[in-house]
Amino acid sequence: MSGETEELAKDLGPLAALTIGVGTMIGAGIFVLPGAAIAQAGSLAVGAFVLGGAIALLTALSASELGTAMPKSGGAYYYVNRSLGPLFGSVAGWANWMGLAFASAFYMVGFGEYIRAIFGLQGTLDLVVVELSYLKIVALVGAALFIAINYIGAKETGRLQNVIVVILVAILAVFTVIGALRADTANLPASQGLGPMVTTTGFIFVSYLGFVQITSVAEEIKDPGKNLPRAVIGSVLIVTLIYALVLFVMSAAVEQGFIAGLPSDQIAVVEVARVIIGPVGAIAMLVGGLLATASSANASILASSRINFAMGRDRIVTPELNEIHPRFGTPYRAIAITGAFILVFILFGNVRTLSTLGSILHLIIYALLNVALIVFRETDVVAYEPSYTVPFYPFTPILGAILSAALIAFIEPTFVIGVGAAFVVFAVLWYLGYARSQATERGVLSEYVLSRSDEMPDSAVDAVAAVQPDGGEYRVMVALSNPETETDLISLASAIAKQEGGKVVAVHTVQVPDQTALASGAEHIEEFDPGAEELLENARRDAETFGVEVETHTVVTHRGVEELYAAAKQYDADLAVMGWGPGDRSRVEGSIGEMTEAVPCDFLVLKDRGFETDRVLVPTAGGPDSDLSAVVAHHLQSEFGSEVTLLHVAEDEAEGEAFLSAWAEGHNLADATLRVETGDVETAIERAAADATMVVFGATERGLLSRLVRGSLVMDVVDDVDCSVLLAEKSRKRSLRERLFGLD
Amino acid sequence: MSADSERHRDLLARPLVAVANDEDAAETARAFAPYADGKVLAVSVVEKAGGAVDKAPMEGVEAEAEAGFAILRERLGNVQTEIRYGTDVVETLLEAARDHDASAIVFTPREGGRLVRFLTGDVALRLVTEADRPVVSLPVHGEAAGEGDADMDVDADGDAT
Repeated sequence: MSGETEELAKDLGPLAALTIGVGTMIGAGIFVLPGAAIAQAGSLAVGAFVLGGAIALLTALSASELGTAMPKSGGAYYYVNRSLGPLFGSVAGWANWMGLAFASAFYMVGFGEYIRAIFGLQGTLDLVVVELSYLKIVALVGAALFIAINYIGAKETGRLQNVIVVILVAILAVFTVIGALRADTANLPASQGLGPMVTTTGFIFVSYLGFVQITSVAEEIKDPGKNLPRAVIGSVLIVTLIYALVLFVMSAAVEQGFIAGLPSDQIAVVEVARVIIGPVGAIAMLVGGLLATASSANASILASSRINFAMGRDRIVTPELNEIHPRFGTPYRAIAITGAFILVFILFGNVRTLSTLGSILHLIIYALLNVALIVFRETDVVAYEPSYTVPFYPFTPILGAILSAALIAFIEPTFVIGVGAAFVVFAVLWYLGYARSQATERGVLSEYVLSRSDEMPDSAVDAVAAVQPDGGEYRVMVALSNPETETDLISLASAIAKQEGGKVVAVHTVQVPDQTALASGAEHIEEFDPGAEELLENARRDAETFGVEVETHTVVTHRGVEELYAAAKQYDADLAVMGWGPGDRSRVEGSIGEMTEAVPCDFLVLKDRGFETDRVLVPTAGGPDSDLSAVVAHHLQSEFGSEVTLLHVAEDEAEGEAFLSAWAEGHNLADATLRVETGDVETAIERAAADATMVVFGATERGLLSRLVRGSLVMDVVDDVDCSVLLAEKSRKRSLRERLFGLD
Repeated sequence: MSADSERHRDLLARPLVAVANDEDAAETARAFAPYADGKVLAVSVVEKAGGAVDKAPMEGVEAEAEAGFAILRERLGNVQTEIRYGTDVVETLLEAARDHDASAIVFTPREGGRLVRFLTGDVALRLVTEADRPVVSLPVHGEAAGEGDADMDVDADGDAT
């Protein structure tokens, strides 16, 4: 990225980054919670907010270091996943995502309270419309509105956020100054003691979720090394100060018992403003409350789509969630699903459960985030170079992790802790049941443990190995249809899988007549293919003789190759091995019309004339497909001790030799016999093949499978040589987009 | 319109092809293939909020653009690509055209009802009215009649539109 482009791409300045944090936090802290906090903690309500700020600050320091080391989309989730691996990544991701959804629901209920106060719906609160209070109806409508705004994507809302935050801070500054003039410590309510204060901290901690959302848009921040820590730490300091001042004024500027005596449908901060400033103050607070809760909700919905995106990128959830709307340019699916969660949470939750669940889930992330930082530091990851580092390491992150986790224990009502725990259990099960087979990121911690398996305690190594993701595993799919070639194909696949440290996926394709419905074909596999079960059983046994893991599947299909492509995608194959012979040929020919697209993974097609690997010939003219031939030859060499001969046909012999020895060197085949010939390519190959037991060809651009049928240079040779022939076609590399969106 | 063939060729001598995503690129490649005989410059604009949080993750939008580029490269051969960042898609495209001295801006208008156009702004209309150089609008679903490879079916008659 050139300097100018970078300036355009990373356009969040220090103020904008700061207002993301302040704007997300301030809505809850000031405009919704103070009344309940003062009622619960008395004069120590200020202490409760300051304690919350202190705990948040510890994590903010860690988040800043991680953010400057990895300014990527996804923030807290991303650091945990990268550091502790996808098991904890799943917990952090779900906690972050759902935590934001709970928080958004909570903000919207707060928004509803303000609407209720403004339009004087207090008296009619008990009026029930389809079991719903006005409050919830307003909250639901408001939430739907903000979800819609984010679904369609109005960039104006983002800029509005900056303005709103400035207005809010101004309103609160005026409130604080006027209130301070009237403040009298004699008005302070009695302290309720430290216990209720800590409980109150747990309750109001939802006011400290915003700073971590700054890290989730780190990729957009200008000069993140400098601006990210300033925004993250600065926003925590600013809101803590504002909370403390406003809470103090609210307690001290009105007579004792005023707040505790307010009816539950009146908003404390508004009523206090009415008393100390007059109606103008109340109106300012009402407008401020609307803006604050709305901007908190809006920012949270937007942030949650980043979490979703990063989870999809790492395959903790399906990357299809990341699809960007062709017209709106928004991650509409992620927004819609998050929106649905928010609406459900509003329906079933009350202010207390929504805010405490938002708090608990974020406290879990904060604890994990601090641990993630310690792991990055202790494992000496080379690429980990934060430009900001936590002061007093390791005490700061250790304290941050312990306090974040400990605060969860003080949260009331206690059943909410149970709900939080249930979310963690769900995330773990989600990982084991779904994400484990998809996830690609192993995490710094498990790489560290597994790479030192000798020094580490066995139980630790076993535990880490047991939860490894297998989405990164090399999977060799074998398409079986002909019992005669089963052993040879499985041997080839197993040898490669063993060398790659991967797994064999044996897929038996059963072809049923077009008239038969696939479902009924599946019920009567034995009818269409009498040897089906035996075939897969043999495959399993043959693969096991190589000591590789094997899984077996049966695919019922009307047509051949097309389904093979689908199966390769479905079973996430890195390499597909299939036979091509009298028993297999018809299925290849059947659907050649559809075969023009690129292969979904690397393909090897074996023309089986006996699986003998003693002398392997690899003709090459360079190119990606003969890269695959070279890999296969190398694996055969390692597994069976094959003698490999490389053949290159050139116009000039000296040039040809130079090319071939360089090619051999570059493909781990330096010990192979080199053979350079001039003249007709086909004759040269046939001559060389006379001494070989197997020839490995790279397909060229036109597509291996279509060449099989149309007949071309390679195919003539296949028929003219007497040994087995292996054709290799390399797939295009999965593009970034395919990895992000799971499209194939 | 004059039938001056040299002028006609000049118009597409250095085309700037605007691409949004893979679907758009496929449509554009299909319609533009008969005319793409030289160098093609493909530009995709990542819409920025300009000092606020973007509506979509930047990495995701960039990936969409790259996917579109890949399709153009596959179908049109010699394609130079560039991702641009800007708060206004149309202005950013025009700026890119100026920077590269493009002979024309080529794009495929996307379908959408009145409501969608109202919500997203009519990029096609603005491009046509605000451009300082020729704008070529490619037909949508240009080969609805045939099933085969689009490149083969469209002949020179296509110029008439």
